[in-house]
Amino acid sequence: MCIRPRRAYISLSLGAWIIIGIALVSTLVVLCWPIPQRRGLEFWVFSRTHADFYTPVIADWNRSAPADGVPEVNLLNISSDALCRRAMSGFLSNTPLADMMEIERSQIGQFFSGPVNDIGFTDLTDRLHKEGIDTALNEPSFGPWTSRGRVYGLPHDVHPVMLAYRADLVEAAGIDINQIETWDDFARIMKPMIQDFDGDGRPDRYLLNLWYTNPDSVEMMILQAGGNFFDAQDRLVVASETNARVLATLVSWCEGPNRIAADTPEFSASGNELRLKGFVVCSLMPDWLAGVWKSDLPKLGGKIKLRPLPTWTKGGCQTSVWGGTMLGIPKNTKDFSAAWNFVQRIYLSESVAKQLYQTTTIISPVKALWKSDFYDVPEPYFSGQAPGRLYINLAPQVPRRNSSPYNTLAKQRVLDATIALRQWAVANKTYERTALEPVAQKLLQEAQAQVQRQMNRNTFLTPGEAR
Amino acid sequence: MRCRLSPKTAPYVFIAPFILVFCIFTAYPLIQSMFLSATQTYGPKSSTFVGMANFQYLLADPFFWKALKNTAIFAAASVFIQLPCALGLALLLNRSDLKGRAFMRLVFFSPSLVGLVFVAIIFGLIFEKRTGLLNVTAHRLMPTFNIDFPWLQEYVMPALIIASLWMYVGFNMVYFLAALQNVSKDLLEAAAVDGAGPWHRFWHITVPAIRPVATFVVLLSLIGSFQLFELPYILLGNSAGPENQGLTVVMYLYQTGFEIGDLGYASAIGWLIAILLGVFAVTQRLLAKGEE
Amino acid sequence: MKKILPYSVLLILALVTLVPFAYLLCASVKTNDDFFSALFLPAGDGLLGIAWDHITVGHYARLFTQMSFFRHIVNSFFFASVISVLATLCCAMGGYALAKFRFQGRAMVTNLVLIALIIPGALLLAPSYQLLFRLGLLDTLAGMILPALAPAFGVYLFRQAMISSVPNELLEAARIDGCGEVHLFFSIVLPLVRPMLGAFLLITFLGTWNNFIGPQIVLQTPERFPLAVAVAQLRGVYSQDYGLIMAGTMISIVPVLGLFLLLQKEFIAGLTSGAVKG
Repeated sequence: MCIRPRRAYISLSLGAWIIIGIALVSTLVVLCWPIPQRRGLEFWVFSRTHADFYTPVIADWNRSAPADGVPEVNLLNISSDALCRRAMSGFLSNTPLADMMEIERSQIGQFFSGPVNDIGFTDLTDRLHKEGIDTALNEPSFGPWTSRGRVYGLPHDVHPVMLAYRADLVEAAGIDINQIETWDDFARIMKPMIQDFDGDGRPDRYLLNLWYTNPDSVEMMILQAGGNFFDAQDRLVVASETNARVLATLVSWCEGPNRIAADTPEFSASGNELRLKGFVVCSLMPDWLAGVWKSDLPKLGGKIKLRPLPTWTKGGCQTSVWGGTMLGIPKNTKDFSAAWNFVQRIYLSESVAKQLYQTTTIISPVKALWKSDFYDVPEPYFSGQAPGRLYINLAPQVPRRNSSPYNTLAKQRVLDATIALRQWAVANKTYERTALEPVAQKLLQEAQAQVQRQMNRNTFLTPGEAR
Repeated sequence: MRCRLSPKTAPYVFIAPFILVFCIFTAYPLIQSMFLSATQTYGPKSSTFVGMANFQYLLADPFFWKALKNTAIFAAASVFIQLPCALGLALLLNRSDLKGRAFMRLVFFSPSLVGLVFVAIIFGLIFEKRTGLLNVTAHRLMPTFNIDFPWLQEYVMPALIIASLWMYVGFNMVYFLAALQNVSKDLLEAAAVDGAGPWHRFWHITVPAIRPVATFVVLLSLIGSFQLFELPYILLGNSAGPENQGLTVVMYLYQTGFEIGDLGYASAIGWLIAILLGVFAVTQRLLAKGEE
Repeated sequence: MKKILPYSVLLILALVTLVPFAYLLCASVKTNDDFFSALFLPAGDGLLGIAWDHITVGHYARLFTQMSFFRHIVNSFFFASVISVLATLCCAMGGYALAKFRFQGRAMVTNLVLIALIIPGALLLAPSYQLLFRLGLLDTLAGMILPALAPAFGVYLFRQAMISSVPNELLEAARIDGCGEVHLFFSIVLPLVRPMLGAFLLITFLGTWNNFIGPQIVLQTPERFPLAVAVAQLRGVYSQDYGLIMAGTMISIVPVLGLFLLLQKEFIAGLTSGAVKG
């Protein structure tokens, strides 16, 4: 007969028993804790701000849903990566999808990298045209969500960019900032403000918060100058003269005797501290960033003013664009018309636009709403200016962006070129913009070749299809 | 338990869970990814067989080689910087006359208990240019230190190495600590009596004794280094950093697969990494066998 | 002197190691306004020059009231404990088979285990998501638990542990005495690898507790999210709510810290019992 030694369970340690105990208890709890059944439309968003914002609107919708005979809406906030992963998988292998999804500008490319017919979002072009929405909204806002001539999402915003400056410092220096028309004027007229306060040989105040290692800033400047990575037919135009000129200018702003820029990154402790100290006088400010500053930097209240960006050429574009969100409805949604109604409620209605502006300073893309009076309310944070009206004035000039899946790649390669240009400038002690332009051109051509090689591999995406 | 398993069938029963789970959840997706790596796909209807084209492009892809170089540098740093630090810490902690040793052990081990998200966020704050803890402290201790030192703009790899040092030194130290405790004290004492200096004692007695643990830890470290992805990705703000200084092979795989959407190419990358690691592991084993 | 030098070095290193934790603790009780203005705690007129009135537990309160963190904590405990117990059992069984039996295919399985160690996880992300969907396991508890049941790493560790700690003679003797295989496993073999059991339990618990990449995609309903996913979700697209993130991280550290305290000795003994002779 088998010897029965001490049973196994006695010789496990206390910790192991605790884990087993936790396992048993938690299994019980998890199995018995009910999960609320969600019927109705699924709505995925990636931004907590948006989620907080939509919750009351959805609550209203859900309250009157039974009476109106429409399904309820369930909001889910997940991180942008997770959302896109689920979306891609849903489109390509039919795993579960939401009925409505918000997608950010930088993530939209991957959904357009296959044949047009395989794009998972519903083609809204005809419906938008029929309901007149395509003309009712700010035209450039459709740019990033249009692939090969068809529109796949409703734009959430316009996001024009203005120049935010420390009015207190500028006025104390006796400079009339409204005299400035171009960036050259800016560098010249504002130069006296670059000062060294503590006598250590390094300036303690610079003019502009802009750094050549920030891909978003580089793209913003290129767009404002009229450059782009892709043309209207989605062909690669990275190595254009305009782009080269912008890169050369940026590097000359960041290095050398004519340096006017410093790196005070947004959303960082060091950047915020430097801003409070007045380390930089001006920043590039899209409308959503104005809202962020109001909540994150209350100490700058009453000291900031906005004005259109200085232009690259006389009479040129006074604004740029940064960021953007769209709402797309996947093709196999349960109830398209209910989803479409809901989407119109949260994107096109006046009450929601008003709340959006008041909470986040973001202006609506709906042109008819631009005459609303809530955009004219003076803001004490902006020294009595009404940011809404100022942004709206610039909205028609917002550059139109492309939706190429290779945009992020192009942006990164252009950034590499910018960094290489700066290294060349430092190594050759040449900081003049005109001297840097040919070098920038060459570097951009290399960048273009790299992106082109990658693009040539894609057998599905043929640029310049039906427009 | 009254089940009568014969010693003949027992092993099959015992190994069954592993085999089942492995075949279903690892082997099957693995084989699928192999097919994926030979195609270009976008959706169930659009799929073209491209054969070895993905691999050909991959071998000529400068960004893959950059990623490989970065990962290799990081792996080398793990083995040649992190492990000696862990060993050093273990040596320091090994003196049995030290009070509060268990507490110290806990302190050094605790960084590996936190998640990667936290490490990335907090080191993002620590590495900031003017107000980050590292620059501020270094500047206070050495006023000549540039308070604007651009860790995450120009010195990404050193920053990553420092962050992973904080995270994993304690973990490896624990291994070395237990190994050191198995080194024969009599042998050490005898050597000391014979007049051998501390370095001599270390090199000729301690090192050979901890050799098996060291090999294991090195292997673990290397495998872990090649999987590096989330830490640089979150630290650099969901990107590879300026000039791709933070690009690792797994990050490149992720970017290709999920940001550009080219799953076939991503699979090719994954397979190439696996093949390279496999070759390395086999060579290492052959060398080890050869030595015996 | 000889004692003081290593002790002081250790102390300095220990303090340096603890700095991020101190930062974490301070950050989780600071208001968002103060977050950027002070490195650790906001300066003020209170005791030690700290503005104690600025300390807030608001972040913690918000996590529990608005974001149902309690449920996420329970989910985390569930996944971590169930997976670690089941995985430990399966890996112990697998390691035992590979170490103590001669059977056909043993060499192949052993090599399979070693190969599985070097496969990059990211390679399997997309195919395994599809697989889970086809098996109907998406957004289910089983879908989270089943794939994690027998990690190759665990089988490898237990194989090493069994080889070095379980003498064949003992097994033979027990078999001669008429002991059944299953009973042999539970009452003789497992007690002999007890350290490794504790160690692996903790490793797996830790790994599962902090894992968020997989769960974030596989689980679709927020009520099933574990803590790690919930905390990862707190990261904003551009700006972060640092107070919330720090408070969430504090909450997720405390249980594992406690567990490690309890299992410390086991853990260390177990880890090295496999590696020392392996």
